[in-house]
Amino acid sequence: MYRILVYIGAALLLLGAFAFGVSLWEGPTAWHTDVRTFWGIPISLFVLWIGLAHAGTLISAIFLALGYPLGRRTSMVAELSTLCSLAVAALFPLVHLGIIENFYMVVPFLDARGNFSNLRSPLVWDFCCISVYGLVSLLFFATHLFSEKFPDLKKLIRPMAWLLFPLVLWVHTIVSLDFAVTFVPQWRGAFFPLYFIAGAIYSGLALVIILLTAEHCRVRVLEKLMLGLSWFMAFFWLWEFLLKGSFSFEVVFLGAVVPQLMWLRVIRENAFGRLLVAFSVLVSLGLERYILVTPSEYNAAEYFSWTDLGLVSFSLGLFTTLFFVFRAKFSSLLEGEDVVMGEIVLQQDESDKESEKVSLPEKNDFSILRLPLLLGVLVTLLYVVWAISVENTNLAPLSVVNVVPLCLPLLVLVASFTLCARPLWGISGKRVKVVCAVLAGILGCLAGAFWAGGSSDVPSGAVSVQEIDSTKTAEFIWSSRCAGCHGQDGKFNEKFVREFYPLPQKLTPVRLDTLGEDSLVKVILDGRVNMNPYRGRVSEDEARGLVRYMRHLAGEGE
Amino acid sequence: MDRREFIKACSVVALMQVLWGCRRLPDLSGAKVPEIAEFEREVRLALSRAKGAFDLVQVPMPGPLEVHGASPVNRFGMAIDLDACDGCGKCILACMQENNIPLSSKGERDAGRFMHWIEMHGGAPAMCFHCGNAPCEKVCPTGAASHTPDGLSTMMYKRCTGSRFCGANCPVGARKFNYVDSVKEGLARKFNPEVPLRSKGVMEKCSLCLQRLQDHKHAQMATRPGVEWRGSGLKTACSEACPKNAIIFGNWLDQDSPLVQEAKHRNLYVPREIANLDPSVVYMRGRR
Repeated sequence: MYRILVYIGAALLLLGAFAFGVSLWEGPTAWHTDVRTFWGIPISLFVLWIGLAHAGTLISAIFLALGYPLGRRTSMVAELSTLCSLAVAALFPLVHLGIIENFYMVVPFLDARGNFSNLRSPLVWDFCCISVYGLVSLLFFATHLFSEKFPDLKKLIRPMAWLLFPLVLWVHTIVSLDFAVTFVPQWRGAFFPLYFIAGAIYSGLALVIILLTAEHCRVRVLEKLMLGLSWFMAFFWLWEFLLKGSFSFEVVFLGAVVPQLMWLRVIRENAFGRLLVAFSVLVSLGLERYILVTPSEYNAAEYFSWTDLGLVSFSLGLFTTLFFVFRAKFSSLLEGEDVVMGEIVLQQDESDKESEKVSLPEKNDFSILRLPLLLGVLVTLLYVVWAISVENTNLAPLSVVNVVPLCLPLLVLVASFTLCARPLWGISGKRVKVVCAVLAGILGCLAGAFWAGGSSDVPSGAVSVQEIDSTKTAEFIWSSRCAGCHGQDGKFNEKFVREFYPLPQKLTPVRLDTLGEDSLVKVILDGRVNMNPYRGRVSEDEARGLVRYMRHLAGEGE
Repeated sequence: MDRREFIKACSVVALMQVLWGCRRLPDLSGAKVPEIAEFEREVRLALSRAKGAFDLVQVPMPGPLEVHGASPVNRFGMAIDLDACDGCGKCILACMQENNIPLSSKGERDAGRFMHWIEMHGGAPAMCFHCGNAPCEKVCPTGAASHTPDGLSTMMYKRCTGSRFCGANCPVGARKFNYVDSVKEGLARKFNPEVPLRSKGVMEKCSLCLQRLQDHKHAQMATRPGVEWRGSGLKTACSEACPKNAIIFGNWLDQDSPLVQEAKHRNLYVPREIANLDPSVVYMRGRR
């Protein structure tokens, strides 16, 4: 079963990989954009996948933090889906960039030349929040995965869940600010953070329901939550319609009407019925993201190019492959242990009732959070003070408000690593330790490279285009081609000219201006009266240079 | 050293040389350079596809900038005389030649995009309005879009990552993205050696002829040191090219500047979308 899914995923991945490669090579022209749409499909996919990445932590961490523990398998599946979706989501902003190798400039840290990224931009907040979210989710997943084997880790799970809980909401709020702080009329609305969080959780729940169906089990509470959220989304869509008059039939039908089928017992009790509803929700949310990111007046759905579809297929394939490969890997790795995510048992009964393997720690267990939190607050304070006092190239100095979005992620990052570092270090094997040390070394090198900054040379292509305005070239051509009659200084070689021709007009700036550059170029190229045509001997560029040189000579004469 | 080692060393050297050779970028000296007539043709095409007119609202005369570190004596800007302008498009061509703006590829034209920094909106030219409180600069993640003390909204091309956030956030769509490599495609021509050609993946827009301002300032510093530079007597490429003298460049804070002299007696307008953003470029219409 999993093998088939991996093959399907790989097939989709291969189909999409071509589109992905073209997008990397061609840059933003590869997918559909138009006059008003600068972003296109990669950002839609990013928003969709980052939303899907929220369900895992929501289901696992928030339920745990609030004292509603789910079965271990449910939470592990959800957490793994978070990590895989994050990996997919993180690719798309990179694909989206015009100059991919410059992405590091977004990191909010100073370099040796005084360049500092612009902390007013939601993109910087985005970058930081998502990297921190990825790291902390990985840590949480590792803690959770190994907690069966090493019971010492169990007491870390709930404090970690409490650290992740606000971070999840924070991250998607920041993603919504990418849109909500702009001046694009379609993206404005103070309700955007709530709208995005609801949408993220909604789509994430649909994804987890699909993955759980693949595990042959179901968790009723998630289905109830999804049904509840469909009403939330319907409400937000209504709000948006009343506010901006924008409305998409497909989105509302698939996202708000189809899920109501869950009220029917026939659909609810059938695995295919649940899959149908969950997929309809995913399609609806995906379409909604696409329409949102495309603010032009056209009907967005008509403008999918093959690369757009290829990128969608790529993201689906990558997620499916990653998820099921890791899932198989972990279940075999930990086989023989008590309950890991691996057991493939048909369980059509309610998993809610499945006994809770996660033992809830006592209240005083939170005392281990004290030191990490203190450290996190200190580091965050230091960073804020440093960031607003640093001398940067941007004109306006930062205010505290600009740094606020980075505070929580930084705090959580420091706190969770302080919390987990020692216990995890204690249980990890020698090889893991070496890998960690090497990674730290690489990180140090990268920080050094960042501090040094990239090259500031002008791209070499720019020099090679011929420069027509060179006075020197014009002077050279003038003396070789024109000076014979017109004189080295433009005042005629009178001795020679008088013998053969009537004396031409004097070269004055006024006369040059009345004739105009273009017509003089024409005279040089095609000739006039006694003037010989020079086409073939002088290129159009050179002729133009000569006209400018004539102006130069005439100006000097006065 | 035995034979095997010798051959190994040789092959390593050869490999290094091959790698070293790969480092070189392809030679582009043979790249096609477009004719000037092609630029003229493209301007005519752009004129035929002019965009809709802005919804204009009246504003007072721009005052000193309200950003940190702004110069108290200089704020450069322009006024476009809607009564005089007949939409001939000479400013677009002049701008292309001054700033080395590349032609658009066929695909770009079909998508409705030109690289022109000046575009016709309802028969009147519109370029970047150089808002004092610019929305594009706020969202630029790297700080590539920033403000100069004398009121120019500028771009640092080397610092741009091409996230296109600024373009999405510009209410009037003044920002242009280099979707194609114009040098390689033979679409770019270096008319003006003082302005660099932009690479693929970089945002660009009207710079208010920054290079002219810079040269003027340096020239004055060299010839008349100690005199405060107010940019008097300077013109941008578009204002120089306008046959009707409908584009007037100047310093909003200099009472003797032709800009202030003219704008004093006129009603000033800006597009409704940016009316609150303190733009430095305005439209003039009617006498007061």
